[in-house]
Amino acid sequence: MDQKVTAPTIEKKTLIGQRVKKPDAPDKAIGKTRYINDMVLPQMLIGKVLFAGRPHARIVSIDTAAAERLPGVHAVLTGKDAAGLRFGFVRDNAALKDKVRCEHDEIAAVAAESEEIARQAIGLIEVVYEDLPGVFTPEDGAREDAPQIHDNFPGNKSLYFEFSHGEVAAAEADSDFVVDNVFRPHHVTHCCMGTSCAIADFDHNGKLTIWTQTQYPYNYKMDLAPALGLQPGDIRVIQPPVGGAFGSKLDVYPYEPIAALLAKRTGRPVKVIYSREEEFKASPTRQPAIIHMRTGCTRDGTLTFRTADVLLDNGAYTSWGPTIPVIMMRTVSGHYRVPVVDFKAQAIYTNNPYAGSFRGYGNVQTTWATAQQMDMLADMVDMEPLAFHLKNSQVSGEITPQKSFLRECVLVECLETAAGASDYSRKRKEYAAARAEPGRYKKGIGLASSIHNAGGAKIHKSDGIGTILKVDDYARVTVITGASEIGQGIDAVITLIVAEELGVPLEHVLIVNNDSDIAPWDVGVHASRTTFIAGNGTRRAARKAKAQILAAAEKMLGEPADTLELRGGSVVRDACGTPLIKLDRLLRQMHFQAEPELVMVTDYYEPKSEPEGAKHVSDHSAAYSHAVHVAEITVDTLTGEITVDKITMAQDVGRVINRMGLEAQIEGGLAIGLGYALSENMLLDRGLLKNPCFRDYKLLTAPEMPPLDLHFIESDCAEGPYGAKGISELPTIVIAPAIANALYNATGVRVFDPPMSPEKVARAIDAQRQAAGG
Amino acid sequence: MQEIKSYLAPRSLDEAVKAMAAGDVTVFCGGTDLTPQTDSGAKRYGATLMNIRRIEGLSGIAEAGDSIRIGAATTVTEVRRDPLIARAAPILAEAAEHFASDQIRNAASLGGNICNASPAGDMINPLLVLDAAVELASWADGALRTRSVPLENFFTGPRRHVKRPDELLTAIVFRKPATDFVGWFRKSGPRPALEISTVSVGIGGNLSDGVFRNVRVAMGSVAPTPLRAHGVEAALEGRPLDADSIRAAVAAADADATPIDDVRASAWYRKHLVKVFTEEVLNHVLGN
Amino acid sequence: MSLETEINFTLNGRPVTVRVPVAMKTLTMLREVLGLTGTKYACGEGECGACTVKVDGRTLNSCLMHAVDCDGRELVTIEGLKSPAGMNPTQKAFVDHGAVQCGFCMPGMIIQADYLTDDDPQLTREQAQRGLEGNLCRCTGYTKVLDAVEAAVEAKRCGR
Repeated sequence: MDQKVTAPTIEKKTLIGQRVKKPDAPDKAIGKTRYINDMVLPQMLIGKVLFAGRPHARIVSIDTAAAERLPGVHAVLTGKDAAGLRFGFVRDNAALKDKVRCEHDEIAAVAAESEEIARQAIGLIEVVYEDLPGVFTPEDGAREDAPQIHDNFPGNKSLYFEFSHGEVAAAEADSDFVVDNVFRPHHVTHCCMGTSCAIADFDHNGKLTIWTQTQYPYNYKMDLAPALGLQPGDIRVIQPPVGGAFGSKLDVYPYEPIAALLAKRTGRPVKVIYSREEEFKASPTRQPAIIHMRTGCTRDGTLTFRTADVLLDNGAYTSWGPTIPVIMMRTVSGHYRVPVVDFKAQAIYTNNPYAGSFRGYGNVQTTWATAQQMDMLADMVDMEPLAFHLKNSQVSGEITPQKSFLRECVLVECLETAAGASDYSRKRKEYAAARAEPGRYKKGIGLASSIHNAGGAKIHKSDGIGTILKVDDYARVTVITGASEIGQGIDAVITLIVAEELGVPLEHVLIVNNDSDIAPWDVGVHASRTTFIAGNGTRRAARKAKAQILAAAEKMLGEPADTLELRGGSVVRDACGTPLIKLDRLLRQMHFQAEPELVMVTDYYEPKSEPEGAKHVSDHSAAYSHAVHVAEITVDTLTGEITVDKITMAQDVGRVINRMGLEAQIEGGLAIGLGYALSENMLLDRGLLKNPCFRDYKLLTAPEMPPLDLHFIESDCAEGPYGAKGISELPTIVIAPAIANALYNATGVRVFDPPMSPEKVARAIDAQRQAAGG
Repeated sequence: MQEIKSYLAPRSLDEAVKAMAAGDVTVFCGGTDLTPQTDSGAKRYGATLMNIRRIEGLSGIAEAGDSIRIGAATTVTEVRRDPLIARAAPILAEAAEHFASDQIRNAASLGGNICNASPAGDMINPLLVLDAAVELASWADGALRTRSVPLENFFTGPRRHVKRPDELLTAIVFRKPATDFVGWFRKSGPRPALEISTVSVGIGGNLSDGVFRNVRVAMGSVAPTPLRAHGVEAALEGRPLDADSIRAAVAAADADATPIDDVRASAWYRKHLVKVFTEEVLNHVLGN
Repeated sequence: MSLETEINFTLNGRPVTVRVPVAMKTLTMLREVLGLTGTKYACGEGECGACTVKVDGRTLNSCLMHAVDCDGRELVTIEGLKSPAGMNPTQKAFVDHGAVQCGFCMPGMIIQADYLTDDDPQLTREQAQRGLEGNLCRCTGYTKVLDAVEAAVEAKRCGR
């Protein structure tokens, strides 16, 4: 080309750390995105569920005749239609039940031509129940004379976990101070704005297509199959856009096999979609816990031991909730240098709703306890808390008792940054001194920190991801990846990485990641893993494509591949940026030459982490990360209202990839943590949910979101893509105890059972006044 | 669901009350209370569904002699933004400011908030303080009849009131407060507005030469109906507004309030807040 | 069958005539009768704002509004904000400032933000917070939403 001489050079510019828009945002902003909730298929029927509405009962009889006779009803199913089709980790669940074990147990389901007819049909089903005495706390469930919830789980015992390291008795003898408290983190739920929904359809050969909100499409097939008597290979999972997930779609829940059973019976596509009330009652919760924690230290502030005896309210069935000890124990044993550890957790079946996974899985509950005890111990030792934290902080290269390898550890930097930016130490002293002074409004400041896996967590046999990448004749790149997009922004990260590696415009990258028949394996969106794992997978695939392209360029241009680079849609000389050939032109030449080639590469990335193992001694994540939050609050000591004035946060992010997405994840995670801390609460009365609506289950609203001061510490993770670590759970994990510590700083009262609602705080302050003699 | 046999959207008041005289009419305006109640099954539709939003003269805020008249279909947003209300009855504007959300304020009518007769009805509280009356219209013997009922006598229980099924609430009327009128309103809740009041307290009266007269005190969510707190009023009436009378008022508030436990708050907390707010509102009135 | 009635109104600038059951809500009419699925159901009782639409220039929760009450009025849904020239300034600000994550609450959030910024060209961040308290979002923590509203105020001021 003659213009080669005049073509301007193309500067080297990195996208890493820049602000990149979510590719799906425009369609969402104009109302064009078709969420699963919006989908309608030809011939589609609406499925509706009859819930028990009582916590524990024998089903004496079910009469579905009237419902079946209603015009427009195509099928009515009951427990006998799901007999023998048990599913769940311990096979204790079924799509439709033969006995009532919790309020939202699915007793019958109908498929009808409209929502209205389906609702009427549900109203025509007559069930005779014989109520049974219930179990509503794990303590009660563990009693010898407790009613049995499942015949095959004697003593209502569900999962049990333990880990110990060193001799507690000896460590305790060496301790000058010991704190001993019982913490009771509560039931909250995900509140995805898009309610739960599934659409199922069978083809003539008996293959099921299920449109679902799942965030783990591949193991989902394995988990769904037994609920239907199918082979996992006979299930195709399609993931339309969803209205949030946050961990709530990391397991199979009964409405999904119900949709499939109805579809099978009727031969038509069936959609089950929850109302908000059904969503509150029937979707999973965060795992509540009773944590008896003890932590000791010496006079000079050196931690000596930490023990946790945990009782988990399993609820009626076993989903991810009671598995949280796997993560709980990592923080108990690994957050700060704790030489001696003892951890035990027993889950007990109750007639309460059951928990799934929820952003911050297990660590929200643990950090609520550990971070408050750190604050209490500092006061006992009479050390400035920052100094106490620093004294016990690990540094790069340390290994925890469970063998978590803290390869790049910047806990000290996080502590110093957050404390410094917020002027924590000075304010803490000042507010504590002002506590006794008169005045209705009290200021407080609190610091909390935690550790979390930041490079996946190998709790399955594989924590890997498959990626297929192709570049077409027009230099448009398609990434076919297992990584699911649930709103978190992996689409922007993948786009950014491809554009970075292949020098193409962001808009020229297309992602295909919503069909299990097309995209390769991935474990799912969980454990703060997707940017780390899918980021690595994408980068590796892109680099393979780049190598192929540059090798072809070398042949065509006669310049060595290692002196060439892809930039601005062209092949350029790396050193000077001189464009040599347009990328699309090169690709066409590759395609149409005598020895034609297409750019299509595959990659399978498996992180270098070790399987969790039964003993829980393994380096189970490819990276670990820390975050430190400082909350500044004002407490109205009369009404008990806490106003959060500011949050300062420092987090080890490894390396910023998409700055805008990173901020968005941190801000959103903080909001969920703030709601957990201050207002969200499932009010259960003998297993029945009393507040299944946003009016009485209070999510944080815009006026309550405080100003944020976010600091990203870049530890440059050797294993992470460009040095990045996973980030999205820590913001949810750390904020609640930071506020609890601030509440103590402001008022001298502590709340052990979240949320720190106005009434609870007012009562605590009132009790404190009474104790002080008015 | 009960069958709706006819739908009406009358333009005139006569037309509306004639239909109501015929019986079994469900009235709606903004729908913000009716819809959740009918959807949940707490309330059934009557044979006739009547939309009163198009009745001429049913909305708007106007001075009528020494009174202010607010049409029943006036939205909370209109109350909140009205210059006359801001000037003459800021306590009402304050309640509108803290009423639900923007979208609800844009739809909800003042008459609807009253007819819903919730003990937590946020607009009711300041209207009790302003000693408002409601106008009820009906059709009898071939003519439009109206009667006026003091708001204080309107409520008979939770979701119950003295308005007969054939009557339509057409307006809220109160005398323009005198220049020495002072009053304020406070509701609880961790959110500024989008909150079903755990409790609310409104207090108003004429304050001249340091003495508080014609005191009216209203409390929300501490009794089966929106409450006039006569004990608190007696503790303040004709007395100088000072630390002593405020202390007496707080003690009386404790006696006047008879709240219950529910999902939103315990009786203990409601009583506690009533006392805190009584003191706070009186201090605000005093300018402290 | 339940009683139906015919109504006429303006929807996103075009006249519409439709028969609806008299107890049907505007949200259901938009989504199921008219196929405008941009407006979302998330609570059905006016607590979340996902179903926010503009009626006669003011926003309200379409889940609470009887469809028959649309008669003679002017409705704007999220689909009606965009012009042939592209996204309106509020939509563009939300995209540019990373305010969209799962996006499910966004149609309602954007309609409300657009109304607030039209209604008060001097809208402050604090006023925006109050104005958006009827719109729940579980993804963003509202920070980027408020950034976007500030940018929309600025963009509208500059006539963009």
